[in-house]
Amino acid sequence: MKNLRLKSARAALDLSQEELAKKCGVSRQTMSAIEKGDYNPTINLCIAICRVLGKTLNDLFWEEESND
Amino acid sequence: MNATSYGFAVGLIIGLIAIILLFKYANRDGKIKTEYDERQKAVRGKAYKYAFYTVVFAQAILMWFNMTGLDLPVADYVLQFIVIIAGCTVLATYTIWNDVYWGLNNDHKKYQIIFAIAFVLNILPLVMNIIHGSMYEDGKLGMPMLNAVVIIMMVIVFAELLIKRFADKYTDEEA
Repeated sequence: MKNLRLKSARAALDLSQEELAKKCGVSRQTMSAIEKGDYNPTINLCIAICRVLGKTLNDLFWEEESND
Repeated sequence: MNATSYGFAVGLIIGLIAIILLFKYANRDGKIKTEYDERQKAVRGKAYKYAFYTVVFAQAILMWFNMTGLDLPVADYVLQFIVIIAGCTVLATYTIWNDVYWGLNNDHKKYQIIFAIAFVLNILPLVMNIIHGSMYEDGKLGMPMLNAVVIIMMVIVFAELLIKRFADKYTDEEA
């Protein structure tokens, strides 16, 4: 499942995948895989991403259950 | 050990030292070791697994050739080298198609220069041996075939890198 919250948080700071990846110490392809939902990052990387984007783990990575 | 074996051993040691120095030159942070992120490490682990299977499978085929007494027109050490290169090619192929061929600290341009130099260093002796008609040792393809095998691997890897780069232009998703 695509992580659209991560994508929008990144876009809100006007960061490219490359820039965010560099700040988090990973490759651009890894950041792209996380956004596409092709790769589940470890908690350490999730925290690093949250720190760069100024968000919490809940904001970006917690999957909320649908009430429907 | 004969003179050729000594020469090969010395060449191997010089080659290893050269590789260490080249890595230091080609990595942006001056480190010998290439750095990978967590996803890259995981995917590369799979790549090493497939490369290992390839080597085991190829070695088993060689053993079978040997047991059946099949006499190939290629020296034994060339066949062993082909097995190693087959493993390396599988490793490179898997890592290229899964975006983990390049490490975080690799300078692509410097690696391309090294690639080009290695290509020339392999093609020159091969061409010279073809010109002098010295491809065969005791009726079997010998030392120059090592260069030919490396060239084949380099061509495959280079072609894959180009195709991947081309494919990424059309499939990459960037907001």
